[in-house]
Amino acid sequence: MSGFREFAEKAFAPGAIPGKPEALAGIRVLEVATRIFGPATADSLGLFGAEVIKVELPPRGDLMRYVAPEGFFWKEVSPAFLPLNRNKLHVGLDLHPAEGKELFLALAEKSDVVVENLRAGTMDEWGVGYLQLRERNPGIVYAANSGFGQWGPFSAGRASYDATAQAVSGFSAVTGFPDQPPMKAGFWVGDYTAALMSAIAILAALAARRKTGEGQLIDLSQAEAMIRTLDWTWPYAGLTGKDRMRNGNVDPSYPPSGIYRCRDGFVAVSVRDADEAACLARELGAPELRGSRPVPPERVAAYCASKTTGEVVRRAEEAGFSAAPVRGGKEQYRDPHLRARGTVCPVDDPLLGRVDEYGPAPKLSESPGRVKWCAKPVGWDNDRVFGGLLGLSRTEMEELAGRKVIGKWADIPGARPPKGSVTP
Amino acid sequence: MTGFTDWARKATDPSLAAGKPEALAGLRVLELCPGHFGGMVAASILGEFGAEVVKVEPPGGDPLRRVAPEGILLRGTGLPFLSEARNRRFVSIDTEGVTGRGLLRRLALSSDVIVAAEPPGRLEAMGCDYLSLREERPQIVFLALSTYGSFGPDADRPVRDSDILCQALSGAPYIVGEPEREGSRPLPHEAPTRLGNWHGAFVQGLWGAFGVLAALRFREETGMGQAVDLAGAEALMMFADYNITWMHTAGKARERVGNFDPAVFPYTYIRCRDGYTFLAAYNDEAFESLMHIIGRPELARDPRFSTPKSRVALENERALLSILEEWSGGRTADEILSAVESYTSKKSGPGAAVVTGRVNRPLETLEEENWTERGCFVRADDPACGKLLLAAPPWKMSGTPARWKTGCKPPGSDNRDVFRGILGGTEEEYRRLEEAGVFRHSE
Repeated sequence: MSGFREFAEKAFAPGAIPGKPEALAGIRVLEVATRIFGPATADSLGLFGAEVIKVELPPRGDLMRYVAPEGFFWKEVSPAFLPLNRNKLHVGLDLHPAEGKELFLALAEKSDVVVENLRAGTMDEWGVGYLQLRERNPGIVYAANSGFGQWGPFSAGRASYDATAQAVSGFSAVTGFPDQPPMKAGFWVGDYTAALMSAIAILAALAARRKTGEGQLIDLSQAEAMIRTLDWTWPYAGLTGKDRMRNGNVDPSYPPSGIYRCRDGFVAVSVRDADEAACLARELGAPELRGSRPVPPERVAAYCASKTTGEVVRRAEEAGFSAAPVRGGKEQYRDPHLRARGTVCPVDDPLLGRVDEYGPAPKLSESPGRVKWCAKPVGWDNDRVFGGLLGLSRTEMEELAGRKVIGKWADIPGARPPKGSVTP
Repeated sequence: MTGFTDWARKATDPSLAAGKPEALAGLRVLELCPGHFGGMVAASILGEFGAEVVKVEPPGGDPLRRVAPEGILLRGTGLPFLSEARNRRFVSIDTEGVTGRGLLRRLALSSDVIVAAEPPGRLEAMGCDYLSLREERPQIVFLALSTYGSFGPDADRPVRDSDILCQALSGAPYIVGEPEREGSRPLPHEAPTRLGNWHGAFVQGLWGAFGVLAALRFREETGMGQAVDLAGAEALMMFADYNITWMHTAGKARERVGNFDPAVFPYTYIRCRDGYTFLAAYNDEAFESLMHIIGRPELARDPRFSTPKSRVALENERALLSILEEWSGGRTADEILSAVESYTSKKSGPGAAVVTGRVNRPLETLEEENWTERGCFVRADDPACGKLLLAAPPWKMSGTPARWKTGCKPPGSDNRDVFRGILGGTEEEYRRLEEAGVFRHSE
């Protein structure tokens, strides 16, 4: 075992995380967002210690609350809403009335970052866009997440979801099989990828602010984020004038690397260099192919078809090429490796009890990320934020609630607390 | 055009970025990632925000240079490498000997961030491992990239990290692709399907850059560096939606549903006259709008489709898809977009949430004016490789815009500059090292 391996087991141990400081402590983020692109951006900052105030329109709040797999709600919350909204404070605030705008501006004065994903220009129309906010707080870093950008021919009026970005960027055109239609990724990759890019730009802008004191506007289109991920697609189009084709499950850059069917599931076989290619050829009984030409995928397919995934992985380790099983949620949920790394982790939530979640991917030895609590009902933290942070009195908050400027959850699944819970 | 739109354009247009300050100016990143695309991405992202990136290649150049889909090589370098070879200095050092290792270590100790995709044992042999570096330089931020991560029961598995391994373990392909039909032998495409680009490696690089930036923020506050461990498998896993919470709350795992979605329908690609287009209506109000748009308002009250729950039953998704395609089959994607926009522009709130967008082939994306106007592509006139079409940094920023600055160069092109500029060596010392073969050039 290398020294680093030994160090890593101790330095990254999930058990020690609660006693360690947080990397983004002291950063306050205001989120005015729905569904995934904006919420996932703020979620990744919140996982590393930023205080995220999620502003929702009462009483229904973020419409993602009602996106439920097979229509299933658990303790009044959709399992699809949870992973996007960890460690947040939830306030219900209507930005349409003047008093609502003023409350938002007051919150922005005390914040470092705003994340929004409304249609381009909406926040500005409401009088709470970047130009209005920076009057009150020149240091504000304002991430405007959208489908097509804040300016340009497609910016006005067009809405966008994850799969819009998958579609218009060219991403789907290169995913799937050549003799089949383009394949939409079955998960919301066009939101998450762009959300992570937005969070990265926010951290870069905060680093810049440390030097200058100035905030800035970050305009990120989710389609443009996906365009950036398409590796050799663009230089290929530029050089040949041709579309890169869908190549099914074989990686055209590293053939015959790809996904193959086994007796009991699927396995990824990977050969990254000549050494691995030679080892695979030997294992397949095809040493004549050890030279410049890769082993044909059909040979690998035949080899895998007669074995279990476990056998292929074991044989690869012995033979000197690489392989890994194709895993789904069920295997991940029970995987001792992911549990030991805190990548699948239990959360002890005051409202929901134990909830198992994905923990943060990057493990930091000194200031690690963590899931502290789960998503809350609409307006759950109104008193803490409007009372505690803005110093409103109970009477003032009641009056604002009476005029429906601030508010709490609708009495429907997705918005409300679990039955029998004690409300704040 | 509103005042804000106009302002945003002037303030963030990438063609006006030159001359503006950079967010990460003054930060030095050393990239030790031969053969590893995710590591290149992590370094590229930091470089786009202004960090000074020094890429160290082994003698003969990074093996990733020789990866060449369709055999296309430009002066010995394939397109995958060229797509990420931006904003770097290229150094090639022979680290077999003690002199080369010493130079590499000096470079590492002059850096703020190390991005490493080599196994720990190899880094130790090179004198460039985290534990020995931090002894001399506790502020260092060290990003370690691998498939499984640096700790945990599977950390010792002897794999060479790659996109396909990370994708497989992430859970992404498991929920991409067509399901098998009952009672018949599965066709090749009825299988977990890889994302066609190197999305696993790319997202590994993105989370790596995020981890580094979070660690740098902590360093600004405390002066302390740290190690960042990132498993490529786990990077893309973060995007696999509610895999874990659904298992935990319902005991259910997500399965492949082709171009459908288990939580929302319609949310799919539909056939249209000129290809495919995306069509979605997330909630009851939007669904009603969509049924008006296709001229079938009565279907909003059809029990098969009247609630979100009934709409996501697979047989109802199939039935609704054929109804939608009856309408879309004779229309182009642009006509569908116009029909949706003319209806939803009169609505607001949940009823306006009908969304569409053509499934573009790459050349179709390149033809759309939005992306060109917004500077999404760089047409680099590269001294070494000629004209290259590349994706630009996607962010438009008013204060410290990210930007593409320089393209690919042959291995070792910046040896002299780096030795003299960063390590403070003399021209004579440099010549001796070059003659001794410690610094290498490919040309």
